[in-house]
Amino acid sequence: MSSELSLIVRTADQTRRAELSLDGTSTGADILQAAVDNWALPADTDYTLVNATTGKALTPGESLAHAVRPGDVLEVQPVLVAG
Amino acid sequence: MASDRYLRHAQIDWFSQPQLRASRVLVVGAGAIGNEVVKNLCLLGVGAVDVCDFDTVELHNLTRSVFLRESDIGGGKAPALVARAADLNPDVALGSIDGDFWECVTLGQLAQYTCAISAVDNFEARLRLNQMCLAAGVDLVNVAIDSRYAVIESFPFAAHWGCACYECHLPESVYARLAARYSCGGLRRRAQSTRQVPTTAITASVAGAVAVSVALRLGPAGQGGPGARRVLLDTIAGTSTVTDLQRNAECAGCERLTQRPQRLEPVDGESWPFAALQALLVQAPSQPPPVLQLSDALITEFECARCGPRPEAADYLDRRAAAYDDSITHCTSCAEPAIRVAVRQRFELPEFIARFHGKTVPAKFALTVIDGRTVCLDFEQESATCPVN
Repeated sequence: MSSELSLIVRTADQTRRAELSLDGTSTGADILQAAVDNWALPADTDYTLVNATTGKALTPGESLAHAVRPGDVLEVQPVLVAG
Repeated sequence: MASDRYLRHAQIDWFSQPQLRASRVLVVGAGAIGNEVVKNLCLLGVGAVDVCDFDTVELHNLTRSVFLRESDIGGGKAPALVARAADLNPDVALGSIDGDFWECVTLGQLAQYTCAISAVDNFEARLRLNQMCLAAGVDLVNVAIDSRYAVIESFPFAAHWGCACYECHLPESVYARLAARYSCGGLRRRAQSTRQVPTTAITASVAGAVAVSVALRLGPAGQGGPGARRVLLDTIAGTSTVTDLQRNAECAGCERLTQRPQRLEPVDGESWPFAALQALLVQAPSQPPPVLQLSDALITEFECARCGPRPEAADYLDRRAAAYDDSITHCTSCAEPAIRVAVRQRFELPEFIARFHGKTVPAKFALTVIDGRTVCLDFEQESATCPVN
């Protein structure tokens, strides 16, 4: 049986923010895809997910149940490449 | 007078000028970030800095590159940068490498540096430098920018082996983007345009400052944490986020590297370290045979689906796939894009020996595990590399 997690997702510039209840089996990749789709983030940029509450990054396939506690704030950060 | 130069540094209780003097840094990329990084390394009085870049100066570079001038346009970025940086501090031994680091810097050379700073402008180069630093056990600082953010990631492979690597937190979308640049046979597609990311002198200077601070571990002892970390700076909001990067057990870059690799080098005129490998296998016979993961993909099949085997196959087989694009899939006989090309990076050891014993291996290195020990076969000769000027 999977449990739901209530958490906050925001962008790095904090112009977008949402309070969500998500299944613990959801992965960081699922959240990133939803953020890109729902917030119309630039599709030519890559993103990574950070737990701003714990200060730890989520690995791409990691489930929320492993990396997030109720009330944590997840931040969508751009993956930069230019030098 | 020379010691007076660092008078203010001496007044900082945690600052060690002798430690900086003993540092040797490789800066890969002489663009906006590379310029700022070298400026800071020179002002601080680091012992030696080598700058590597194959690119040439263009007019649009001049809005972000502190050392470059209009008179440098058309010339190499690395030599132009180094020539001007030398004026900043004659104490620093500066060198320029006017070429691609993958072709110019061997693992043996990389192992001589205290740290490598990745200031390149594409994911492929960042992945490759990460692989080299992992294989050589050298600290890596990855630095990147856009028009608003600067990101600085530190991977202390030398002091904290087993920390996360650059690939541990790279999203799948990056690999998908890279895969789109290659045909299904594994050859680079022709005429693939790269996305141009706009950047500014603001993000470059902020990134260059923090990157050097992180690379030299400036600050009171014990601060900064032992593992891999990412700092994301928002230059508009003036905020920063510090994130610990945990090792990813499923990472494509370091999953197999459970321990620091033992590097085997060729001896007595060998083209690759066959004797050292054989000695290791005698000590620890390995069944099933070890699998070698090469640093470079090689072309292993080349045949026309319509005409059959082609005489020109000898020009391509067992060569680096990166040297060609998918134009070679056009058959010179039937003029159709019917050449089937196979590209591989993994070989079982007996097959590898059968292919390459006594020959030059067209790769930088290979990693394998023998009797639980991670081994790096170094295929490069120091003499084959580009000069440091």
